[in-house]
Amino acid sequence: MHHRDLGVLSLVTIAALGVLSACGTTSTSNTSGGAGGLASCHGTVSVATDLPLTGGDSTDGPFPAYGAQLAVTQANSNHTLGGCTLKYISKDDSSVLKNGHDPAQGVANITALAADSSVMGVVGPFNSSVALAEIPVASQDHLPLISPANTNPGLTKVGTNPLIDTASLYKNGVRSYFRVISTDDVQGKMLAYIATHELNLKKAYVFDDQEIYGVGISVAFKQSFAADGGTVVGTASLPGSTTTFSTQMSDAKSKVADLVFFGGLSGTGAGLARRDMGTAGLTSVKEMGGDGLVDTKFITDANSGANTHAAEGVEATSAPDVTKLSSAGSFFSQYAAAYASLPAPYNDGKKEPYTAYGYDAMNVLISAIKAAITNNGGQLPSDTMGFRDAVLAQLHKVSYDGATGHVAFDQNGDVPAPFTFTHYKVSGGAWTAVETLVEDASGNISVKS
Amino acid sequence: MSEETGPQGTGGGHEVSAATLAHGVLVVPAGLAPRRVEAGGLAGRVLPPLRGLYRLAARNFPLLLLGAIVLSLLGVFLGWGRSAGGTVLLGEQIRNALVLGAIYALIAIGYTMVYGIIELINFAHGDVFTLSGFYAFLIAGWFGLGGLATGSLGGLLLALLILFPLTMAASGLTGMAIERVAYRRLRDAPRVAPLITAVGVSFLLEGFMLVKFGPDNVTTHNASWISGQAFNVGGVSVGVKDIFIVGTAIVLMFALGAFVRGTRAGKAMRSTAQDRQAALLCGININRTISVTFFIGSALAAAAAIIYTINYGVIQWSLGFRFGIIAFTAAVLGGIGNIVGAGIGGFLIGMIYVFGGSLAGGEWSEALIFAVLVLILTFRPVGLFGIDVATRA
Repeated sequence: MHHRDLGVLSLVTIAALGVLSACGTTSTSNTSGGAGGLASCHGTVSVATDLPLTGGDSTDGPFPAYGAQLAVTQANSNHTLGGCTLKYISKDDSSVLKNGHDPAQGVANITALAADSSVMGVVGPFNSSVALAEIPVASQDHLPLISPANTNPGLTKVGTNPLIDTASLYKNGVRSYFRVISTDDVQGKMLAYIATHELNLKKAYVFDDQEIYGVGISVAFKQSFAADGGTVVGTASLPGSTTTFSTQMSDAKSKVADLVFFGGLSGTGAGLARRDMGTAGLTSVKEMGGDGLVDTKFITDANSGANTHAAEGVEATSAPDVTKLSSAGSFFSQYAAAYASLPAPYNDGKKEPYTAYGYDAMNVLISAIKAAITNNGGQLPSDTMGFRDAVLAQLHKVSYDGATGHVAFDQNGDVPAPFTFTHYKVSGGAWTAVETLVEDASGNISVKS
Repeated sequence: MSEETGPQGTGGGHEVSAATLAHGVLVVPAGLAPRRVEAGGLAGRVLPPLRGLYRLAARNFPLLLLGAIVLSLLGVFLGWGRSAGGTVLLGEQIRNALVLGAIYALIAIGYTMVYGIIELINFAHGDVFTLSGFYAFLIAGWFGLGGLATGSLGGLLLALLILFPLTMAASGLTGMAIERVAYRRLRDAPRVAPLITAVGVSFLLEGFMLVKFGPDNVTTHNASWISGQAFNVGGVSVGVKDIFIVGTAIVLMFALGAFVRGTRAGKAMRSTAQDRQAALLCGININRTISVTFFIGSALAAAAAIIYTINYGVIQWSLGFRFGIIAFTAAVLGGIGNIVGAGIGGFLIGMIYVFGGSLAGGEWSEALIFAVLVLILTFRPVGLFGIDVATRA
């Protein structure tokens, strides 16, 4: 049972404090621990993950969960919280009904965790649709929620996604949601930069797949493309199950589009749209999209039509591959050592890019909890809400160098600039990196040399 | 569709003599019509002022639908809504609609034939379409038809002459097997029983295809078989492939019409559809006739699947669900049980899909089709080419 009354707990610690006060300052110079004034800390703090672990998402969600769990194990063995220990709680936001992530299950999990007065933060969720349902609950209960994977800008930035009323997610104004990964609007902006500055395209026909990711990235692209001097000549919003785009491609042709932008995934028709561009005679028109296009399925689908090389020349952006970052090297070897007994593929953290983000998210949370305890004289704050508010305040000014790079949060809970994305192009039947683009703090995009 | 408004029990006979039956009509398409339609219908009963309007709409439904389609053609040409206008766009969209319509028409015929003969909405039919796409993919692979078809014109014809009969036969046998295993024992059971079995067979086929062929689109490698431009009218490029697809569909539909009208088996089908007991008394082998019906319906779905893969180059396990529902709407639009109606209904649905999408945006295409389904069931349950309820009574 992880239910614990913090009030009683802190009374005990305060009583103990009188006895131990002298010891508080005698630093035991424990090398890796760095416990500082926390040696006298007494009690347990709970941290949790809320990720999809079963059903259709069982190939994704467990990885960041294991990454986060590793961070907790390491913090405990290093005595990061001094005399206090961390307790790890794992929640699964999958349901049998949805055979995967389910917003309703996510809300039930967050409600239970928020009611547990020992829980000071949650790493999760994985999916933007789940975050949309969970944020209001977490915000109301001041519970820190740090996502390792949500990329939808509408979760934090007002007016970036027509499907999301961002302000209503934080009714009492408590920004308790954070994420350690950059958002899709940055990608939309970079794609508009490539289209206008590098390829000199003027007239875009913009598709989205009616899903939160696809709509988000296409809205971001449209805004930036127009700001960069381009014109959006037409739009189409088709469900992901669409199998033919011929009507829209004839429409795009009649509007003399020189670019087809697909806000969506290869699984929601991006490749089939490329196939139908060929059928409609739009062979010389460029197709572009976000990271949802960068996989082999896109190329297979695009090349399935009469033109078996239709995918050639399609351009997209995607986040840099974290498994290749030098900062992530030691993390992945630690992961492999800690989880060697797990069955494949879970024994290899590199199988999923979000593993390292789960690890970083939990480390950021632990460092904020540590700072909150330190500020409270090395003791656990007695008041749950006060403790959580202190952790939130620390998260807003966190500065942490993790496996995926430097992590900090702006006032919205997003990682601040600079943002780095890789520009890819299909060449010789495979996605090949063209260049690396960086957006700086003032919003300027440049090619990283 | 509600069960109460469906046609009455099997073998009850419809109050129309054989003489009034059109040749292409398998059964009097009382289909999904209520037995007695009160003047003004439900709307008229609830709101008496609507009675006149309802009756007007019901009487003139075909005209209204035709008018709406003509208006949408005009709208695309003139650039209403989201259309940019122009003859090229109009021409291209007509081409797109005919290609899509040909596929819907061939699938719709399978629904309508089965409904005509055993009054079952065969929900597994859409999945038979998908399965046939995989058959075509496998057969083309086994016989190495890809190399043959892309080599020369003669090779292409030979490849098609191998692919069509083999795939259609395989699919036809699958359809017969489904009927034998899942429907025959339930032929005299309450109507909802075979309907549930049909849904079960649909899930079974989808599950099988998902496991066997995976969740992604499977490239069938036959989209490059037929290429080139047939002609160019005022900037509208019509490919040889487009002609082939629409031509194949029309030829097959005429062949089916000739079969139903001119052969003994066709006659047996018509009489079985009309009154199964009486047909039995006349010495017609009911089981065999029903098997033949399933064979032909499934074979036509296979033809639809082949032209689908030749046009789109992919097949995916869940494709049949959406295509099935849309083709079913085409069958209802034409008057379920009416073969000619299903063919024309398929092309009309293609028009609604493409022109609705062109004017209102593609996100409305399917919504419009299902709106049409609701309108038909409300105003003209017998379909466009069904016999007017009023003259039946």
